[in-house]
Amino acid sequence: MTSPLMLELQAVTYRWSTTSKAFGPITSSAPPGQFIGLIGPNGAGKSTLLKLIAAFWARESGTIRVQGRDISDFKASERARRVAFVPQSLDTQFDLTVREVVELGRLSQLSWRERLQFKGTGKTARLEEILITTGLDHLEHRPYNTLSGGEAKRALLAAALVQEAPLLLLDEPTAHLDPGHAMKFLELVRNMVDHKQTTVVMAYHDLATVGLYVDMLWVMDQGQLVLTGTPEEVLTNPLIRSIYDTDLIEVRHPRTQRPMLLFP
Amino acid sequence: MITMVIGVMHGPTRIPLATVLDRLFSPNASINSVIIWEIRLPAVLAAVLVGGGLAVAGAVMQALLKNPLADPYIVGASAGASFGAILAEDLLPSMGLMAPAAFVGGLCAVMISYLLSRGRGITSMLTLILAGYAVGVILTSVTTFLMLLNRADLSTIFAWEVGGINGVTWSEVLISLIFIVISLAIIWPFASDMNALLLGEEQAHHLGVPVRRVQLILLVAASLLTAAAVYLSGLIGFVGLVIPHIVRRLNGPNHRQLLPLAFLFGAAFLTLANVVANSIPVIGPIPVGLVTAFLGGPYFLYLLVRQNQRRGGLTP
Repeated sequence: MTSPLMLELQAVTYRWSTTSKAFGPITSSAPPGQFIGLIGPNGAGKSTLLKLIAAFWARESGTIRVQGRDISDFKASERARRVAFVPQSLDTQFDLTVREVVELGRLSQLSWRERLQFKGTGKTARLEEILITTGLDHLEHRPYNTLSGGEAKRALLAAALVQEAPLLLLDEPTAHLDPGHAMKFLELVRNMVDHKQTTVVMAYHDLATVGLYVDMLWVMDQGQLVLTGTPEEVLTNPLIRSIYDTDLIEVRHPRTQRPMLLFP
Repeated sequence: MITMVIGVMHGPTRIPLATVLDRLFSPNASINSVIIWEIRLPAVLAAVLVGGGLAVAGAVMQALLKNPLADPYIVGASAGASFGAILAEDLLPSMGLMAPAAFVGGLCAVMISYLLSRGRGITSMLTLILAGYAVGVILTSVTTFLMLLNRADLSTIFAWEVGGINGVTWSEVLISLIFIVISLAIIWPFASDMNALLLGEEQAHHLGVPVRRVQLILLVAASLLTAAAVYLSGLIGFVGLVIPHIVRRLNGPNHRQLLPLAFLFGAAFLTLANVVANSIPVIGPIPVGLVTAFLGGPYFLYLLVRQNQRRGGLTP
């Protein structure tokens, strides 16, 4: 039985410790090929939700289904072929090269024979293509930990793309990026959604630009999903001002007429 | 291979290369043949197994703990092995159980540390280091206490703690070989998972590594490897720490190349160190553990200083 939905959340709750504040219940869903922006103030629970979907943290109750199957029923490698995750940042003390980091995206696809080989995971056309589209081909032999912020982000995205998962989770991918690199990064993701029918859930902070790229916005506040809808619906909803506790200014993008919220 | 031949040539009595090659392929009843087959060859093979095994175990522990300063003994293996060894010497002297007891003791200590550090969700590797340290301190204090109680055995235990590989027999080499081959066979398919672990446990999870299971498998295999090495040689220091670093500097941290190269380098290094240990003029043979520590200690300090400098400002 295949579900037409990529991601289904049903009454998902989570508890960090017995004394911590409530998270959820959260219910929502996403079809294939949808770009979702997950917004909300700091501490609203955006990262928590992403980590629950990625099964890195275990939910307290409720169900999380990816392509119709409960996320906890997957073996680790099966899950990684369906859900990829790009973290905010990643530190390593070891000098893995960019290519080695990107190649790790193929880890969940390795056969036993490939696991036993001395050589790396081997060149695949797909991997070379991703190195080029993410603009990393000239950096492939550089140690990952010497990259600039923007380059490191692209390397992590490239690894996630190599995973070829239909559901991609991004945790504030453009934090610490300058506007130019942030825009290029988001266009890359948008392209993938349009051409590969990938579903993307992206935790994001910038209310001015989020509406320019995503199809849907999920708004979180204090561990609850308080509002969902298209950028048009959400960004013009008065509730958003009370969540951020600020008198946000609504403007329109001069070219696309999409809504943008600016801080006063 | 070359260091192995050199290793066979050198010893308290030098045997020329031609004789070595000749007797290797056609053993006879001559004194040289006996020395080569019953003394030198087991010792050289032991050096290869111990050096290679410790270097791979060190590389695995460094990846598991994401800590370049980890060594095979870090989570209690050495303290457990010493404890096992002295227990065997005290309770059942002259049974020759020191090496097997050390093997069991080392494995047990690591497992105790692991069980103590197991929490909800993913085992914190930092907690594992701390638990290993605590277990190590407790066992070492008991070991020292036992050593003070029973002074007759002090020199035996002391020689064992420093680590040496002379006087091993073929059967000991064979037992160790079996365990080392088994552990290496367990570790090898996880080379790519170890690369993922270098990026942190969370990222490894997202890449499809069953983190907890892989950590346990690798920890058990690395401990088995360490225990098999300790069984042959006692506690030889610094090979497991230094060799993986040298290989990483030459060839990068990719475990698909790091693991086999570490084995080769470790094997070659310890074989040569053993030659040096056997060729000290005047004093005569000294335990090879002293040689590795003498060479490894300064390199370890250099690594520490270098890492501090990196933290100090060059990288944010």
